[in-house]
Amino acid sequence: MSPKHHPPEEILIDYATGALDLHARLVVAGHVGVCPLCRRDVDVLNAVGGTLVAELPPVALADDALPRALARIERPQPAQAARLKPPGDWIRVPEPVLAAAERHRRWAAPGVWVAPVTGRPGRARSYLLGIAAGMKVPRHTHRGTEFVCVLKGAYVDQDQRHAPGDFALNDDSVVHQPTITGDSECVCLISATNRLVPRDWVGALFQPFVGI
Amino acid sequence: MSESGLATGSESRSDARRLRNVAARALIATANPPRSTGADLSALIVRVAENHDRLAFTALFEHFAPRVKSYLLRLGAPPEAAEELAQEALLTVWRRAPSYDPNKAAASTWIFTIARNLRIDLARRESRPALTPDATEVADAPEQPDQSVCVAQDEILIAEAIRRLPADQAQVVKLAFFADKAHSEIADELGLPLGTVKSRLRLAMGRLRTALTGITA
Repeated sequence: MSPKHHPPEEILIDYATGALDLHARLVVAGHVGVCPLCRRDVDVLNAVGGTLVAELPPVALADDALPRALARIERPQPAQAARLKPPGDWIRVPEPVLAAAERHRRWAAPGVWVAPVTGRPGRARSYLLGIAAGMKVPRHTHRGTEFVCVLKGAYVDQDQRHAPGDFALNDDSVVHQPTITGDSECVCLISATNRLVPRDWVGALFQPFVGI
Repeated sequence: MSESGLATGSESRSDARRLRNVAARALIATANPPRSTGADLSALIVRVAENHDRLAFTALFEHFAPRVKSYLLRLGAPPEAAEELAQEALLTVWRRAPSYDPNKAAASTWIFTIARNLRIDLARRESRPALTPDATEVADAPEQPDQSVCVAQDEILIAEAIRRLPADQAQVVKLAFFADKAHSEIADELGLPLGTVKSRLRLAMGRLRTALTGITA
């Protein structure tokens, strides 16, 4: 089933031009990988980028550029690391996300696990968050901008259901308390520019353990 | 003339120069440069994929490497870094040619995504081991016939669609690709409200989508 919640077009443009930071890029890639509509827009933007680059005035290369390239193609290719297999019930995600899920997963609180993917806590970063069925995320808002892509399961936020592949953008205009729905855990890939700001004492207690 | 015979073992400079001349002539014969058509360039990538054709690679290198370098310089890369990344981009073209599908993307589209992804990876490489060039993307989904939409691969058509954008929309689109700035920073640079930049980008996206896919949604 196709996702129902999409990134705004200007985010897809930042994705196609390469202007998104790596953390946000991974989240958008997760959505684009399963969303035919956004995939199509990214294809259009890539074609535009390719044509704009093709129309640039060529710049002279170093004198030995071609011989160097021809020598380099003769060298054996570096061995490719074996591709990790995604958990069968996740949407497909970029490779670094799978690697993080395998190596860095830790329980943060009962029913809640986190796996840092890129960046560092307190700074721009991305991480996986798994929350057991039926749980509520403590009420909170955001200091910067947060992108979310659901990889598995579903949550409800302000009457909207977010299922696998769905994208969400949260910032300081949003104070929310997403609730896991359905009978499986919900796993999300999240990028953030800053820490969450807890809005009640439960959240304040919860945050140090989860490290988000 | 045996192309493969000419190309094997040509690591010395004089061989490379000879190859370059032959390649240039071949390109002139088949593609009428300097404006090689997209179909010719796509065919060159297919020749690399199918036959490890060094002559085809040479022609691709001569066409694309100077433009990829131009792109990277425009994004603010220092000249040595731009040169090196152009090398790596074309090396990636050689290695990954078998994954190129001429029915899905123009040669310029594919090579743009390679150069862009290498640049993103470079920013990351300082602190972490290198990733494969597409490590921040998810491979194309298997065909979904009912949903697949053909994006035009004809560069002339794409260029025409870009030229038809109103000037204010074209400006923000080009800045987005060449200024190494997110849309919010473009707004700052132009001294425009963020909402204005967003709406210009969205309007441009709508026009480009319609022009290249025929879809008006």
